[in-house]
Amino acid sequence: MNVQRVEAGYLPGLSSADVQWQTLPFEQDGQRVDVAVPVLTAAQMQALALRVKRASAQHLKTMTVSEIITIIDRAIARLLDPNDPLRRQADALLPVVTGYDADMVRLGLTGLLKTFRAPQLHRFVAEDFANPKVLDSFQPAIKGGAVRAYGPQLLVHSWAGNVPALALWSLICGLLVKAGNVGKLPSAEPLFAGWFARLLADVHPPLADCMAVVWWRGAGDDDASALYAQADTVVAYGGNDALHAIQRRLPVTTRFLAHGHKLGFGVVSAMALDAQKAPALARRAAWDVMRYDQQGCYSPHVFYVQRGGRVPPRQFASYLAGELSNLQHRFPRRAMDLEESAAVAKWRQSIEWQLPADGADALIGDPDSAWSVAYADAAQPLMPTALQRSIVVAGIDTLDEVAPLVAAHHDYLQTAGVAATPEELYRLAEQLGAAGVTRISAIGSMSVPEAGWHHDGRFNLLDLVRMTEIEQSAETAADPFAPYEP
Amino acid sequence: MNNVAPPVAELLEFIAQDSCTDEQFDQLALRLFAYQYGASAPYRSFCQRRGATVRNVKTWSDIPAVPIDAFKAMELRCEPARPDERVFMTSGTTRADMRGRHFHPHLAVYDLSMTRNFAARVMQGTPRLPMGILFPDEVAMPNSSLAHYLALAKSAFGSEGSRYFMSPQGIDLDGLWRQLEEAERNGEPYALLGASFSFVHVIDALRREGRAFRLPPGSRILDTGGYKGQSRELPLDTFYAELSALLGVPRSLCINMYGMTELSTQFYDDGNATVPSVKSGPHWIRSRLVDPATGRTVPAGERGILAHCDLGNFNSVNTILTEDVGAPADGGFLLLGRAEGAQAKGCSLAVEEFIQSARS
Repeated sequence: MNVQRVEAGYLPGLSSADVQWQTLPFEQDGQRVDVAVPVLTAAQMQALALRVKRASAQHLKTMTVSEIITIIDRAIARLLDPNDPLRRQADALLPVVTGYDADMVRLGLTGLLKTFRAPQLHRFVAEDFANPKVLDSFQPAIKGGAVRAYGPQLLVHSWAGNVPALALWSLICGLLVKAGNVGKLPSAEPLFAGWFARLLADVHPPLADCMAVVWWRGAGDDDASALYAQADTVVAYGGNDALHAIQRRLPVTTRFLAHGHKLGFGVVSAMALDAQKAPALARRAAWDVMRYDQQGCYSPHVFYVQRGGRVPPRQFASYLAGELSNLQHRFPRRAMDLEESAAVAKWRQSIEWQLPADGADALIGDPDSAWSVAYADAAQPLMPTALQRSIVVAGIDTLDEVAPLVAAHHDYLQTAGVAATPEELYRLAEQLGAAGVTRISAIGSMSVPEAGWHHDGRFNLLDLVRMTEIEQSAETAADPFAPYEP
Repeated sequence: MNNVAPPVAELLEFIAQDSCTDEQFDQLALRLFAYQYGASAPYRSFCQRRGATVRNVKTWSDIPAVPIDAFKAMELRCEPARPDERVFMTSGTTRADMRGRHFHPHLAVYDLSMTRNFAARVMQGTPRLPMGILFPDEVAMPNSSLAHYLALAKSAFGSEGSRYFMSPQGIDLDGLWRQLEEAERNGEPYALLGASFSFVHVIDALRREGRAFRLPPGSRILDTGGYKGQSRELPLDTFYAELSALLGVPRSLCINMYGMTELSTQFYDDGNATVPSVKSGPHWIRSRLVDPATGRTVPAGERGILAHCDLGNFNSVNTILTEDVGAPADGGFLLLGRAEGAQAKGCSLAVEEFIQSARS
């Protein structure tokens, strides 16, 4: 077997020999990648945090946002070049490590990277700051006086590994607000964040010490505590238990930004279901189910489909099944381990038990196929499926039924994909927004959030900064002290 | 062939045998399958959806395995309900409709299965032993198969003076210490039986009080059921090391029983000198390791989900699909733990976590 060894992480000021390494083995289709992840002592972690803080104060906080965007854009351009050595490495190794289909990873990565090019990054900043210059210097405030935004001295990230290169979102946010960044790699995808940090240092060497990418076992020990103790802001992704475990070890003064588990769904109006539009819509819906095998926070679990269109919901379910079957040829589902396979089987069977005697066709796709579509004729409350391309299509009579069906899971709502008329879209958006949904996208775009989206309804950048205001009184009071005053 | 009535007489005779050939096992398994296929409509449609019929099921491993969730979702029974039937329910949630139910019109088959197997694997030739039971009795838990199992162990194999050490306040530790002291004094082997989590409480109490016992040679311990969130979780190796050290019973006589409400037959190991130990059952139950997605047997040597064909299950379904991960081993299988449902790796929500969070 072809075994490749890769060192993960990014540790400025430390050489490989200085730290201990643990190997995480990954294997896919006869290819093996041994990823060595660093295990730092508490003292090393503390020194690293101080180094990053100091360097970012010196090199990052003194740059303008536009300069930072230019650097990120150059790094992203490298990664968008299919012939760039790092990009080739990513295309080769990420499929082995994540288990996702190579083409799916390649397309997904390009899509993700495109949201971080210069124009998109400028939009990203403008989305949160009416005047982006407020990140560089004091700017006149509308109420009088002046205001400036300061990013954290040390922003600590705890990343999740469900989607490759997920770390880009928060790492770039941290850079845009000029924070020193230390991120903890997820064991499920321990590669991309370190690569990106190294690439940035390569593109602009003064940034070399402004970031670090580390790892620790499980929830971490003294090493994690040493890092968290230095952070003024922590952003974390993961399940509520994991998030709670992090939150418990933070001082009360540390700002904690948590992105927990989410549950997506789609809504299809009868108006979108004519003989021409319905199959195309089902194809886009299938893409949202297929991307990263539903492991994204934005991935759909249920499509609520309105009756009364030319194509009935049951027919839409068949179209969706057909498209998932097609996509399986282009982007085969990840090989599942025994536990995942058991979870899918359990989910399928739970539906089977609920079937009426004549409802044999409500579960589309046989147990051998790498996807499942369950059709429910009655409206169903939102429930997670077993993921791995398992999806429920539920018939509804009116679009107004949807909000009450999802509202119970207020805390878990995020993305809703909607196919409806403009009038219906706004009516539905009012209801879904009130129920807790934070993002409404087209079906087919659920799994590709646009640049500058408000992740979980929060402000990606604004939440990271603290504002300092010069009140008008101070300005007025300063005037008499000017040397040119009589 | 009469497929209208359950083959109870044949089953009792079969269990009473000392062993069986593959042909004999298949013959009775298929006979039972045909009966259950005919008598239970939900089971029939389950089989039909998998393309399994009386015609094309040729051997016990062709019989579709019914996931244990089905015991929660529906009444899996062949004989109509009767007032004197026994119903064993799975533990866990308090909602009765969410608990798995196993209907026994009578316990003749269950009891013979239990006693034949217990005599061989736990008593090992000793007709009776004084027993201490660390679990509630059948009056307190009429729907617990484990309560019935332990009551039967006590009545069929316990010598005079065998007793329960369970009160509504928990384990009667003082009474237990007195009993163990007496066993130490009179030198007669003693058997301590109970739920694994009860033993964890005993271990904790002994550590707390700084006590230990040396039970006489031939004494044995039988634990079952795992911890189920009722006590702190101990790694298996620590668990048996502690039991052995604190009670003076060699690990080879610390036996673990693997049983399920959905079965009528139990598995045992031959002690826990090394863990995980090899589990095996008597000749009227056979197990295979399956790929849960397809229900097919995994290639030789691979891990899989355990499916058991238990001829003692005459009224429910003879073959069940567990949620336990197993690995093949000489003479049986290794129990590797529960397939808890995959943990989602990041932001998407897996069913199990969701249900947990909805409860909390």
